Amino acid sequence: MTATAAALAGAARDARRAWDVRATAGAAVVVVAAAAPIVVSSSRLEDLAAGLYLALAATGLALAVGVAGMPSLAQGAFMAVGALTAAQLRIHGGVPTLAAAVVGAVAAAGAGVVTGVGFVRLNRGLVAVSTWILAWLVALGLEAFPSVSGGAQGLLLPEGPSTTAHYELALALVALAALALVALARGPFGLRLAAARDRRAAAAALGVPVPRLRLTAFVASAAVGGLAGGLSVQLAGIADAASYGPYLSFKIFVAVLIGGAASAAGAFLGVVVLGLVSVAADAVGAVENVSSARFHPLLAAVLLLAVLALGGEGLLRAPRRHRLARAEAHPEARDTVSQGWLAGRALSKRYGDLVALEGLDIDVPAGEIVALIGPNGSGKTTALRLLAGTEHPDAGTVESEGRLARTLQATATFGELTAVEHLLVASAGARRHGGLARTLLATPKARAEEAGATARAHEVLERFGLGAGGDTPASQLSGADQRLLMIAAASATGAAVLLLDEPSAGAAHAEVDRLARVLAGLRDEGLAILVVEHNLRLVRTVAARVVALDAGRVIARGTPEQVGADPAVRGAYLGSQTL
Amino acid sequence: MDVVLQVAVSGLAAGAVYGLVAVGHSLVYRLTGVVHFAFGELIALGVFATLFFAAGTAPVTSTSVSGGRFLLAVLGGLALVAAASAGSYWFAVQPYQLRGSTVGWVGASLALAFALRTLIVAIFDRPSYVFPDPLPFRGLGDDGFWHVGGATIQARSLFVIAVALALAGASAWILARTRFGRALEAVASDVEGARVVGLPVSRLVGLAFALAGVVAGLAAVVAAPSGAFNVDTAALLGLKGLAAAVAVRFALWTSFVAGIAFGLLEAGIANVSWAGPPYREVVPLALVLALLAARALREPEARAE
Repeated sequence: MTATAAALAGAARDARRAWDVRATAGAAVVVVAAAAPIVVSSSRLEDLAAGLYLALAATGLALAVGVAGMPSLAQGAFMAVGALTAAQLRIHGGVPTLAAAVVGAVAAAGAGVVTGVGFVRLNRGLVAVSTWILAWLVALGLEAFPSVSGGAQGLLLPEGPSTTAHYELALALVALAALALVALARGPFGLRLAAARDRRAAAAALGVPVPRLRLTAFVASAAVGGLAGGLSVQLAGIADAASYGPYLSFKIFVAVLIGGAASAAGAFLGVVVLGLVSVAADAVGAVENVSSARFHPLLAAVLLLAVLALGGEGLLRAPRRHRLARAEAHPEARDTVSQGWLAGRALSKRYGDLVALEGLDIDVPAGEIVALIGPNGSGKTTALRLLAGTEHPDAGTVESEGRLARTLQATATFGELTAVEHLLVASAGARRHGGLARTLLATPKARAEEAGATARAHEVLERFGLGAGGDTPASQLSGADQRLLMIAAASATGAAVLLLDEPSAGAAHAEVDRLARVLAGLRDEGLAILVVEHNLRLVRTVAARVVALDAGRVIARGTPEQVGADPAVRGAYLGSQTL
Repeated sequence: MDVVLQVAVSGLAAGAVYGLVAVGHSLVYRLTGVVHFAFGELIALGVFATLFFAAGTAPVTSTSVSGGRFLLAVLGGLALVAAASAGSYWFAVQPYQLRGSTVGWVGASLALAFALRTLIVAIFDRPSYVFPDPLPFRGLGDDGFWHVGGATIQARSLFVIAVALALAGASAWILARTRFGRALEAVASDVEGARVVGLPVSRLVGLAFALAGVVAGLAAVVAAPSGAFNVDTAALLGLKGLAAAVAVRFALWTSFVAGIAFGLLEAGIANVSWAGPPYREVVPLALVLALLAARALREPEARAE
């Protein structure tokens, strides 16, 4: 009982801390809007409610477009799936309003799973192409099968709740969806999606399950679209197949971009702007005595072009990030440094005629740093990919124990995220209460875990000497700090084995020493570390053993001194450096 | 047997046009890495501009335009498509392509599509149009149709197939044999290299957009009199061409074959008893989506980007 009270008090404290001008503005808009039925005529109210359902669908799409970075063009199609499912259930099954809408949402989610499982693995351009084909496919299907869609006459639905009830429900759902979007974007789910959006390969190397998270976002987005469709069709009282064409998908996409895909209220604002512009156009049209409805697509197109020309961020920018205050690390969630090792046996890889790697044997035991050296093109990065499992060897085996994390050769930080958030992205994989549902409901466990993870992230940053820059976007850190940050992130995954690809690339002397101290510290914690390195100074300082490659073959192995003295190694490096 | 002949002719006639559109999509993609969502609407612009120059906005019967005026109208329509196509690259695609903003070029080309569509529908506001045909196909056979056994073959179809093949041949010749074509080849394989050796990349790519638009536009004008025509007809040409091109990963000439296969599949589905006309467009598009998804699932995650 007291635990519950404490949890509630904590939640209230966090909510107070998170409260800002935007929250006040949002709450004020909702309160004023909720009073609208008192003054607005019934037909106007129906338009407003329809607009709110559209805003609901758009807020759902913002999860896919803004947070996950997938330009999905099929939200209208998912609305259609929800709408027709709900309509058929109302007409033939006598199912009540809300139940029909929920089943519609489930149907849309199902359609989202079937299509998304492949789509989310495509690059952004092809996500747009495939979802656009889907939008047309659904529209053509509705046209071709009037038995499902009601054809040109449409499907007439039985009488449902009043317009006012629809309006208040729609308003509540839009507000809830916006709140959910804020919670998701800030939580581990959204952070990892944002990391994958900015640098997919680097996120995957940190163990972020990119396809699974993207699929979750895609399906959630489709489900919200389906819910909006299932409710709006009952508001209209008729399912009109022609209204679910590709233009609907385009309009929702435009609304998200106009309002700002990165902001929770952006989709709502975008729908408002589109609605106001249409109303203004209709007013002008009425004076000029022309029907302006068919010019609405042109207005949406022009607004979109204007927003894109202004940088594409939309009216509402991403809010400054709010983090939970630092708390004591949760005792349950403490780091336990797991022991692990990595071993490759007789690894070979060819690309066509090129022998990239031939018969590599390598052991990386716990508590040891092993360096892989060699001139450019000698097969170091290939070896790393095989050992990390991102490519399969033509021959040989890789065995390992314990979780594995990898950093990439290029400096690849997730530009928009802060340093602390980088570590949260990395540590999210080890969390048990950071999924979509728990984040949304902010369960006490999820909140405690969040606080603990944040506290540990700060600790790790201190240890790496990055404590000062914890809350600045990573893109503003120096190159050396960015590289250290990615190593910190790799270690924060809780991995027992680290694979680091040229961590010192382009670093100055002082930075190399700092890097050496950091790596030695991680080794002393018991991690097994493999570094691919050019910098022989770093290798000599930290590595216990060295494997030298040339043209895909091992030319020397042993202690740094032994390998450094080997004439074959000296020959491969043209004598330009001495260990 | 009779069904096979009918399916082959009507499928080839439709598919050859899809194929040319698909080649246009692939050419654009190979050069820029961008998908042109307004391609179908640009084709619509060409067809309706031709109609406008030939007969204004008044209703026409299929024989009411003289050959000379029609030829001039076609030239005018194609000139407009060429200008709009190149312009769409310079003003709607290139700025975002250079910035690497996918949302930018997707949004801008879609916006262009809906802007063009609105303008066309504002001028040509009837549900669909009959397109004039200056060539006397109606004099052939039974009012333009031949009955071969149980099959009904539209005489125009053979003409459409022939023109489309000729256009494909001409495009292949331009791309393979001319200096312009080889310069495009260089841009497609290595943009930076092409810039270093002094090729005017932006102008070349703009011209390639114009070429893609003109070829697809001409094919659509040639095919337009075969049936009723509206903006959606052209938008669907763009979409089906895109589906065919994406199915073969935008491989230039394989796209042409994929377009023909799309057309044959449509005609086949419309003519078999267990499916029928409602499934004609839906099934091939669904198959393309399934193919895309299957391919994405099979490829290892590391190579995805």
